[in-house]
Amino acid sequence: MNSTPVYIEISQTSLKALRENAGLELPLERSANGRLTDDCKEKIIAGLQPFLDRKPWQPRANAFCAIGANGVSLRRLALPASAKEEFQRLLRLQIENEFPLPPDELAWGWQPIEANNNKASREVLVAAVKKETVEDYANVLSICGVNPVFTVAALTRKSLCPPQLQPYAILELGRSQSELVTFDPGVPVTLRVLPPASDASLAEAVRKTLGANWPGRKLFLTGATDEQAAQLQRQLGSGVACEALKVASILGLKKSVEQNGGSPPLVLQVKARQANGSFNLSAPDVKKWAVRAAALLCALLILPYAEALLLKPFLARKLSALKADKGRLAVIDRELEFLQSLKQTQPPYLDAMYILAKSTPQGGKIDSLTMNRRGDVSLRGSLRDAAQVTDLRTKLIGSGFFANVAVEEQAPTPDRQKLNLRISAQWKSVEARAGLTNGPTADEIEKAKTGGKDTKGGGTMPPGMMPGMPAGGLPPAFKLPPGVSLPADLPPEILKQLQSAQP
Amino acid sequence: MRTLTPQEKRTGRFAGLFIAIYLALFGGFKVWKFFERQRTDYRQLVAEAESLKLEIKRYEAKIAVTTNLMEKFHMNPAKLTRTTVVAEASAAIQKAAKDGGFQLGPVRESPPRPSSKELASIQLEGSGPVQATMALMNRLETCGYPLIIDSAQISADPMKPGQIKLNLTIIILDFESLKKAEVPRA
Repeated sequence: MNSTPVYIEISQTSLKALRENAGLELPLERSANGRLTDDCKEKIIAGLQPFLDRKPWQPRANAFCAIGANGVSLRRLALPASAKEEFQRLLRLQIENEFPLPPDELAWGWQPIEANNNKASREVLVAAVKKETVEDYANVLSICGVNPVFTVAALTRKSLCPPQLQPYAILELGRSQSELVTFDPGVPVTLRVLPPASDASLAEAVRKTLGANWPGRKLFLTGATDEQAAQLQRQLGSGVACEALKVASILGLKKSVEQNGGSPPLVLQVKARQANGSFNLSAPDVKKWAVRAAALLCALLILPYAEALLLKPFLARKLSALKADKGRLAVIDRELEFLQSLKQTQPPYLDAMYILAKSTPQGGKIDSLTMNRRGDVSLRGSLRDAAQVTDLRTKLIGSGFFANVAVEEQAPTPDRQKLNLRISAQWKSVEARAGLTNGPTADEIEKAKTGGKDTKGGGTMPPGMMPGMPAGGLPPAFKLPPGVSLPADLPPEILKQLQSAQP
Repeated sequence: MRTLTPQEKRTGRFAGLFIAIYLALFGGFKVWKFFERQRTDYRQLVAEAESLKLEIKRYEAKIAVTTNLMEKFHMNPAKLTRTTVVAEASAAIQKAAKDGGFQLGPVRESPPRPSSKELASIQLEGSGPVQATMALMNRLETCGYPLIIDSAQISADPMKPGQIKLNLTIIILDFESLKKAEVPRA
């Protein structure tokens, strides 16, 4: 929210303020060095504050202040065209060069002069005044609760004149002094402080300032009457037409600001010292950072709530969908449990047969083999002698696969050539068998591949384990029946054994 | 109506200001409570989502194991139906035997024993070469149905030299009621 701006014109003897339709004029007292006296400052503050009527919570309004020509110097400077930062640096260097004081001790401002055809250089008009002069005004105005923006009053009066094609001048007649500024035709050229209107030497001073060769033919007067204009025209007498502008010169400031988009064309840069060390929140920089900090603070406070408000519906919807799907987890549990139990329940028949085949001594014969899923194994067969029976039992126990191996019966055949036997055993539990590696070793597989006849000690089914089953477990050159292929899902060791046995 | 005195106006202003402040505080408190409740609900939802995420993450390993087992057994328990599984399993067993070159003899199906977690039991007899017999016993595990060989009896076939007789009792497990099958000596 922007407050209504205040327009202030500060001359040598008075301060005029204009806000909307209200106006105020305060007398100024200056010390010998031209600065405001402390008493005067207090009076200004006391007079301006009721006029501005700013409430503590209201933002500070901009105060466009036009200062008098006393101590103001104008220079036209030509600078090489460059980037913004570089241009500022060059400008400061030029100011340092052109003005008697360094830029830091000056309140200075610049405005571009209409671009010429030379693109390699840039011409600017620089106005400068002693900083302390302007700082006094700035501090007083800051205390009054406004943000001062300074410019030169004489330059703003241009907006009161009708557009001119020829050089012209504007003379402000004051009680204590007059100010003359010449334009060529739109660019200020000279700015002089002249005697007051009551002084008889004014005309002479004007003539002298304009010079004999001044090409202009028009002199506008502000703060003057038609009679005064006519009188001055007669006194000048060199073909210069004098015309009184019947408007207050402060309106030139207002018009100038309005025409230039909210600020005067030439702004004198000065930073007011904070009165009594107070912190000026409405200073542009501080205000900018304060707004940013406030925005961050608001974001910090609001974001957690905004997140909750914005994302809650989405999260709730997604969560309810997930919960609906959660039932599938129970199905996965059940299936896994079932499959694991199935895996553990599968009895190791093939492993048991492999170990039996491997353990049976050469020449032995197994007539029948019975197994059940509880692990009971019972076999009947015949071996050559008791030593082979002992050997078989030792190997079965040594395999680690079986427990409770018992030779339930062994009896010689009627011809006393062999021993009939009946062995019972029980395979161990899953946990006990977990560490065992059943199946042929790499060497045994290699031997089977190369068709080795070495069947000693087993590794394949021993000869005569079953009737018609030759030594080595599988026929050395058996062929699968026509149309029959090996199942791909056989255990690797069995598959390799079968494949290697093929011609 | 008489005009109000400055004192009355001031009192009215104060009263209005007080009411405005009260309403602002009361309304602000309500609004703040509302937002706070929303935020608390949201936090609860987030916590719930986090725990659900953890739970689902735990299931990733289970899913991998389940998938492996399903591939190993060539079986998807979700697709098995209790009404047809016995017939399908019987057909699969016979096909496995035929494909492997094992000659099947009589096949008998029996109803499940009471209080057991099985759908049926199948008893089959047959004979064939050693490799066909071994292949059949191996294939039964991976034919895609929950089959367990309850008992196996292998003996020489005196009528067919070079072949062995096989007598198998196969159990078809009840996959719906089976939670944790007993693993006696398996």
